[in-house]
Amino acid sequence: MNDGDVILQIRALYKTYELGKENLVRALRGASLEVARGEMLAIMGPSGSGKSTVMHIMGCLDTPDQGEVWLEGRRVDKLKRHELNRVRSRQIGFIFQGFNLIPTFTAAENVALACEYAGMPRRKAKAAAARALTRVDLGDRLSHHPSELSGGQQQRVAIARALVNEPAIILGDEPTGDLDTINSREIMQMMRDINKSTGTTFVLVTHNPEVAAACDRTVCMRDGAVLADEECRPD
Amino acid sequence: MRTVKNVFRRKLRAFLTIFGITIGIFALVVMGSLAEKITLLVNGGTRFYADKVTVSQGGSAGFSVNPISVDRIPAIQAIPGVRLASAGITLPLDKEQSASFGVPAMISASDLRGRNLESFKLTYSQGRELSPDDQGKAVVGADLVQKLNARVGGFIKVRGRSFQVVGILEKTLTIPDDAVIIPFRDAQNIFFNDLPELVQKNIKPGMLATGLTIYPKPGVNPDRLAEEIGKKYPQYDAIGPAKFQQQVTNSTHIFTTIVFGVALISLLVGGLSVINTMTMSVYERTREVGIRKSLGASDGRIIRQFLGESAFIGAVGGITGLALGWLFVLAANKAGEASGTVIFLLTTRLAIGSIAFAIVLGVLSGLYPSWHAARLNPVKALRYE
Ligand SMILES: Nc1ncnc2c1ncn2[C@@H]1O[C@H](COP(=O)(O)OP(=O)(O)OP(=O)(O)O)[C@@H](O)[C@H]1O
Ligand SMILES: [Mg+2]
Repeated sequence: MNDGDVILQIRALYKTYELGKENLVRALRGASLEVARGEMLAIMGPSGSGKSTVMHIMGCLDTPDQGEVWLEGRRVDKLKRHELNRVRSRQIGFIFQGFNLIPTFTAAENVALACEYAGMPRRKAKAAAARALTRVDLGDRLSHHPSELSGGQQQRVAIARALVNEPAIILGDEPTGDLDTINSREIMQMMRDINKSTGTTFVLVTHNPEVAAACDRTVCMRDGAVLADEECRPD
Repeated sequence: MRTVKNVFRRKLRAFLTIFGITIGIFALVVMGSLAEKITLLVNGGTRFYADKVTVSQGGSAGFSVNPISVDRIPAIQAIPGVRLASAGITLPLDKEQSASFGVPAMISASDLRGRNLESFKLTYSQGRELSPDDQGKAVVGADLVQKLNARVGGFIKVRGRSFQVVGILEKTLTIPDDAVIIPFRDAQNIFFNDLPELVQKNIKPGMLATGLTIYPKPGVNPDRLAEEIGKKYPQYDAIGPAKFQQQVTNSTHIFTTIVFGVALISLLVGGLSVINTMTMSVYERTREVGIRKSLGASDGRIIRQFLGESAFIGAVGGITGLALGWLFVLAANKAGEASGTVIFLLTTRLAIGSIAFAIVLGVLSGLYPSWHAARLNPVKALRYE
């Protein structure tokens, strides 16, 4: 794998949370990982192993205490707040376990918001949102509020929101965690299709072996580090 | 639109917060209207006093009821720098003046000797001005028309005497609005009747005046002249423009300070309630802020979103406060017209100023909460339940 193929790389990340004077949680202890452009990668591992922490740092929502994060050939772990905002709005898409839609906005407004934050004018944002929602088969639900949608549909809105700005990489933290088997499969299938047709890179944290199996590659985390592929065992 | 929706997400709270601002702006508008009226009165006085000296017998500025004799005029006119001295009478319209706010209604009369020198010109909405040979005639100030039921050609009662109205003054927004101008001779008779019997025995009505208006010669400084007259006649109060200004600004400053102090305190309370509401609103929407940040919202975007909401609260509160204040002022003035005490004046600058103030207050109150929202750690905000 040569450097041009690596879209995201983390090198020896350390992150410690201070809960009290004596109570330190060492969430990451030298986590390193490379993600190839266009691949679909699953991260597994027991609860508390640092998966979400790694995702937040890769997604520029948080910064490591030590280590480096490279996104599309640029070091992003030491960027200023406003630069991080920009990276998040244009290069990264997020899908969360709990969907994280704004409840007072319609599906279309939720998606359009991402476009606006990426600098698109309102009118264009609306059109882009409609296209993205059509792509996840919600073309007829544009003006529905999240409370009027099923869990699977809400997660599809979140997928539309994540992909609407055509980011380099979409990060999903247990995207199927709140869904039943059927909806999980449907969502997974949808992400797989998007990955195939657009070449968008996906990194998915999951506890679901079926989801991991549908990915190109799976890595495991334990105690704040990413294990070599062969050490990976089911929890 | 989104701003409006967000503000009214918690309807009762939004309503109460807006109501807090409304009360503050209402107080500002009503109190401010009072202050504006006083300010314009004083400005009128300042214009009137600008180029002359008034002399009265002790007592307070201009409204003394101690008589001063008109036979002093030749001696005063002999003072170098004096061009002309004119006698005048100012009396309360109602003998038993009930305590009231603002200016009491007055009877005003002059021997008219100085009318060609007078720079404070009155204009008439109807009829004509008084001439020196008028008797039993009157000119009515704009705010007294209703109270006296005056119309040109009709009769009004002043201190039990009947006067025929020959003119009605245009609104000046200052002292003449609350005055009935009658011939000097008639005023002298009314004044004479007001005096204690003991004084009456020693004086003829034709000698009476309450004050003299002194017109300086061209180029003579009225303040200097007032000083000189004061030195020559220490028993008189000689007041020039500077002294008048000093007397009124002292009292009006205290007044306007109190008035605006009261209004500002109520606005402070309103502002605090906006801070409270916006803080709660940010707190409740922590997760939403986290979502927005995860989508790459800039600090400025988040700040603008919340500031827009607090500015909206301020604007709505300001508009309703202004509307209520305006209604109150209208009603109070309507009621006051009947008794000749119009004490409020809602000026355009006050109206615009209070709305602007409400919006600025909203924005200022929203600054900290929205800044706080923008600085939230996205991961913590997303975890927030
Ligand atoms: N904000 C925080 N403050 C303190 N400790 C934290 C914080 N965030 C995470 N941790 C701790 O860091 C460790 C790693 O947490 P993380 O959320 O990354 O685990 P995870 O692998 O995503 O677990 P799960 O599978 O349960 O989601 C845990 O021990 C957790 O308690
Ligand atoms: Mg997690």
